[in-house]
Amino acid sequence: MTDADLRVSLQRVGHLADEALATTLWLAGELQRPLLVEGDAGVGKTALAVALAQARGQRLVRLQCHEGLDLSQAAYEWNYGKQLLAIRLHETQPGERVREADLFARDYLLERRLLQAISSDAPCVLLIDEIDRADEAFEAFLLEVLADYQITVPELGTVTARHVPQVVLTSNGTRELSDALRRRCLYHYLDHPTLAREIAIVRATLPQAEGQLVEQAVAFVQKLRRDDLSKKPGIAETLDWVRALHRLDFKALPDDPLALVPTLACLLKTREDRFQMGEDRIRQLMEGRRSVGVAEKAPQQI
Amino acid sequence: MNIRPAQPLEAIAGFAALLREHGLKVGIAEQQAMVRAALSLPLDRWKQVDAAWRAIACHDARDWRRWAELFERYWHPQRLKGSTKVSGQTRPNRSLQQLVQSLHEGMAGGTPPPQRATSDVALNAPALPPDEPGQGRAQGGASRTEALHDRSLSQWLPQDLAQLERLAEQVALRLRKRLTRRWHDSATGHRLDVRRTLRASLRTGGLPLNPVWRAPRRERPRLFILVDVSRSMETHAQLFLRIARAFVLAMDARVFVFHTRLAEVTPLLRSDSAAVQEKVNAVTAGFGGGTRIATSVADFHAVHARAQLTRSARVWVLSDGFDADEPPCLAEELARVRGRGARIAWFHPSEQPPASMAMRAVNEQRGLVERYARLNSLRDLASLAEQAL
Repeated sequence: MTDADLRVSLQRVGHLADEALATTLWLAGELQRPLLVEGDAGVGKTALAVALAQARGQRLVRLQCHEGLDLSQAAYEWNYGKQLLAIRLHETQPGERVREADLFARDYLLERRLLQAISSDAPCVLLIDEIDRADEAFEAFLLEVLADYQITVPELGTVTARHVPQVVLTSNGTRELSDALRRRCLYHYLDHPTLAREIAIVRATLPQAEGQLVEQAVAFVQKLRRDDLSKKPGIAETLDWVRALHRLDFKALPDDPLALVPTLACLLKTREDRFQMGEDRIRQLMEGRRSVGVAEKAPQQI
Repeated sequence: MNIRPAQPLEAIAGFAALLREHGLKVGIAEQQAMVRAALSLPLDRWKQVDAAWRAIACHDARDWRRWAELFERYWHPQRLKGSTKVSGQTRPNRSLQQLVQSLHEGMAGGTPPPQRATSDVALNAPALPPDEPGQGRAQGGASRTEALHDRSLSQWLPQDLAQLERLAEQVALRLRKRLTRRWHDSATGHRLDVRRTLRASLRTGGLPLNPVWRAPRRERPRLFILVDVSRSMETHAQLFLRIARAFVLAMDARVFVFHTRLAEVTPLLRSDSAAVQEKVNAVTAGFGGGTRIATSVADFHAVHARAQLTRSARVWVLSDGFDADEPPCLAEELARVRGRGARIAWFHPSEQPPASMAMRAVNEQRGLVERYARLNSLRDLASLAEQAL
């Protein structure tokens, strides 16, 4: 599969990736390297991994990172309850003595996400979501997994991947990741989509919405992103907003900015941003949509 | 001039050297991956080398933003607008298409595989190819690197910002994470985390089979930057704010501006907006004339940072030291800051440390200001990055 084929496959499952992103995803597979995707919240980092799994027809194994995530939650854990039960059962049978090797067998191992991906019988996509939320100790453990695609269980030995999983790590930048982890990964910074791409994404996701509404709404969001907001709306917010406008039976953006104010809850997620986006500012952004070309002035009131 | 088959690796090594010069972490492994990527791509898709190499060489968002310009500069210098051609220098002629083709032909012709080939002298080339612009070699007795470093920050150019951010990050790295006081006493560094051990023991029927240890706690110093934006500092204030912004991004510093009063501007500096200076002007618009450093420092330690001024706090004052308050006041207020355990450093744009009446009173109290440092050029910032702060 070439990068162009992968791009077509992604498109088929509803993910419109640009050429550079498709090349990066393809290269990550070719070089068998993990891919670290960074970008603002809501630009589609997680959706990218989901789409990649669908495009390749592979299983998605998702590990959601959080503070305090440790080996037992991410990789493996011994099923102590089952082990204790086995010991008790052997104690009830006279003459039988339980051996340590019996207790630390694969039957008593609870496979968590990382081990599931490593020991998977078929190729899969491993999504390590929001790696910046995990502790540094976990990041250090991850280095072995990502470098050699193997996990060492001291009592059992080393489990090596039968099929190297395609690893996608996402980060929102809440914590600086170590250089060692970054250098093991390919890197892609996912930016907000361009106007044309965003219109195409919204149309593909919400085909029932009016074309005019989609174009105007996306143009409005693009202008909104250029404003000095503390939390810029992502593609997920645009989709929510267009969905809301469609439910309210809008065929195009209304002329009266007051009609839009209640729906802006889909786009603006902080108090300062809501405060900043008053009626006048909305009117300015909406009037911008009517202009044709950069030279035309906004309509002046007589 | 066409690229001969022997040259592609040198060209890639030269490109990697340029990337390194601009702060990207590109080592042998990355160069090998770049060669492999170029070989993996079909010949007709050679244009995608840009995207492939970008994914390999960039490791964070800053690298990502810088890439396009560096790539163009090296591979398509003729496309760059505003670049000046230095007299006597030949413009490099590098064709990416030819390079990819040469690599493919090299492979087809039975030359050594890229992994071995890339570890040869070409990849260990210490510098750029001789015709590479942007290196610090002297031409006709003048060095362009020197000029950049020594230019006063009052004449800063937007293109200096990337370098400035990198230097600020280096300074932040030196300030990063020291063991907290309680951990200094613990020689072994091992402490049982009782709560998590008990929590983990629930899985084993209450038997604490897996003790959980606490990781040594390291904290970065809390940095406070006070920027003088009075009339006398007019020429430097904007860039000082840029420097302060770099520290906000690098280590979450808190930034205050003052002339007759003090105001916090940290939230304004978080977003990368060209209107930073306008916002700061708006914040300080109601202030009167002159500079009241002592009053501002008093406001700082009594109101704004009262709870955070501890032993791990660092306070940097970026000012020329001219104070309209009574001369002894500044020393008294700084002593209160120092009394909380915070360490104070004073950065001044002048050649010599400030010698105003107020500063003389400060200097009479030994140890009040831990250090004075000149901050008037990128070289000054670079030397700060090299020193332990």
